[in-house]
Amino acid sequence: MAGPIRILGVGSAGAPDARPAEAEARAGRLRAVLTGLSADGVPARLIHGIEELAILAAHEALRRAGVPMPYRGDDLGVLLGVEEGIDGIKARYYRAILADGPLGASPLTFPLTTPNTIAARISILFDLRGETLTLGGGNVAGAQALGLALRALRDGQTAMALAGGATCVEEEFLEAASLVGSSEPGSPGGGACLFLLGRSGPVGAAAGGQVLGYGEGFGPDGVHAAVRACLEDAAVSPSAIGAARTAAVSDWPSAARAIRAVGIHADIARSPSSGLCSASFPLAVAEAVGQAARGPRVPVLVVGSDCLAGAAAAVVQGAS
Amino acid sequence: MGEPVLVTGLGIVTPFNPDGDRERFWASLCAGEAAVGAIRSFDASAYPCRVAAEVDREALYAGRATADPALRMAERAFERALDDAGLARGRGMPRRAGIILGTVLGGTASGERYLRARAQGAPGATETLVQYPLRAAAHALAERAGFSGPVLTVSTACASGTDAIGLAYRRIASGAADMLVAGGVDALCELSFSGFCALRALTTDRVRPFSRNRTGLALGEGAAFLVLERERAAKQRGATPLGRIAGYATRSDAFHLTAPHRDGRGLAAAVKAVLADGAVGPAQIDYVSAHGTGTPYNDRMETLALKAALGACAARVPISSVKGALGHAFGAAGAIEAAVCLLAIRDGVVPPTANLEEPDPECDLDFVPGGARRVAVRTALTVSAGFGGQNAALVIRGCP
Repeated sequence: MAGPIRILGVGSAGAPDARPAEAEARAGRLRAVLTGLSADGVPARLIHGIEELAILAAHEALRRAGVPMPYRGDDLGVLLGVEEGIDGIKARYYRAILADGPLGASPLTFPLTTPNTIAARISILFDLRGETLTLGGGNVAGAQALGLALRALRDGQTAMALAGGATCVEEEFLEAASLVGSSEPGSPGGGACLFLLGRSGPVGAAAGGQVLGYGEGFGPDGVHAAVRACLEDAAVSPSAIGAARTAAVSDWPSAARAIRAVGIHADIARSPSSGLCSASFPLAVAEAVGQAARGPRVPVLVVGSDCLAGAAAAVVQGAS
Repeated sequence: MGEPVLVTGLGIVTPFNPDGDRERFWASLCAGEAAVGAIRSFDASAYPCRVAAEVDREALYAGRATADPALRMAERAFERALDDAGLARGRGMPRRAGIILGTVLGGTASGERYLRARAQGAPGATETLVQYPLRAAAHALAERAGFSGPVLTVSTACASGTDAIGLAYRRIASGAADMLVAGGVDALCELSFSGFCALRALTTDRVRPFSRNRTGLALGEGAAFLVLERERAAKQRGATPLGRIAGYATRSDAFHLTAPHRDGRGLAAAVKAVLADGAVGPAQIDYVSAHGTGTPYNDRMETLALKAALGACAARVPISSVKGALGHAFGAAGAIEAAVCLLAIRDGVVPPTANLEEPDPECDLDFVPGGARRVAVRTALTVSAGFGGQNAALVIRGCP
């Protein structure tokens, strides 16, 4: 079943700012969030920066939508793209074993070497008992999470979904990416962006726009296929697209050509978040929704691609 | 949901059948054999636990030793599945074909090789890095088969394989794809082994699911893939179905990163939801393939969850765990257990829970001790649980 899905709330978080005052403010905000979610007033202990980013983004999305926290329901789940976000953790964990043998294996860090731990952390802290899925699609992992959420909502599998991506791009990942010739490995940093999506939201939720459609493609014509599938899913003609924006793409000139080949003549902007891998697509969607809200109410196309996982596209529209 | 979703192909690689011989796997499992033994793929001598269920590397690689072990297992199971479906070498491949793969570790074994080389001052081979990412196996298989998508990698801890099949079932049923190969893969590696050791979750001898004297799990490895198609398309091309996926649900415990909810809250919710999705009542379930890891917490939790979800029917349905025989194959486990359900339906036989000699009074359901049992299985339920409170379930039925 096709049809638009409402954006009930959106939250994003960036890597800690180098300026001490801002970093301290963020740490304070995180402490307040964790204390507020704790039953006994003792804040949960987070291990890694990617958890902090994801928790802050999730909290903001839920707060903006007016969802009670903790939620305690199984009609709200978490769909998250993370892939490379835990590579640094895994590398450091394994290096400790190489250095110290079995004594190097930390039972505290080990769970974070499992990709679904970040989504699990969100589900535990906010008591979200619905469908919780983690996607490993590299640059399009966050897009795939949004796509799965869209399908689950349209099919009535869930009432609401917290969907997006989180990453922590660390030196270990960048070194590896450069060795295998990744064209857009980004720079050290991190980010998370989560949308609370729903067919209808909680009373009082402010609709922050709509996701009209989503499409995927794989192979040499992946971007072209994803854009076509997305437009078809959204029931939007190429000429109706008012703007286009690329998240992380494995080959920008080719991606732009593929978008043009579909018949889209709108300007194509490159998202400033394109170096943030799994988080790049959701961040670009958030930028597009913001852009659409400020300008004329036209559909905006967002496109991303990954050298291994194919391509994804979404059409979004700002709130009226 | 729309049209029935049939399983038209099945490929499986486990410690019982490195070459992908499905019947050998099934015969060994039903005979009550156990594949848990001394670890050979890395040096485990410094660890308190030194056993796992491994796929014999020599038989697996057959001269292709540079491939990541997970990728090699996936390749073999994938090829077998397509061959079984009559789709080998692209013959009759539908237009919208793709893969949904569940994995926890991806090519972590290759990542380890790279880091070991770097620690020894060597540059590290870039091909090991190419095979490392979580999504590498799905990409390689899709490219080789010429799929146009979707190509998805799902990672929901030890429920990954079950979720991959469930998501594929939804896509096929809704008409969003024509054919999907879905399943899971994971290979044993030191990173995960050391972590489970540190968590004190591993047994030092045998895995005894649902036993009073159970002492923990053993890690395993393997791969399994199912080919899913809509009924009409499968019939049109003359495919022979093994069964059909009739329901899927996934729920979160929202409780703890590494421990299951003590009452099995999430698993019970997933089972109730999958029965509703499949329009199946508890009385219709003829067999349950349990998660059954052999850890004290899991087996007690699972018993409570099945009682909560199936009610009085929980006491009369045969339930077995294959992890006493095969260890815990992480992201592949759910897909292997879905395959077990299909073969149980095909042959009217349910495999035993290996090493269940002294039942735990707290695990007081029919966990099929001893040997395999003849049961007319028309409808089976398979359940998976994992780190982070992941719980997933499938209803699998025979074809009329």
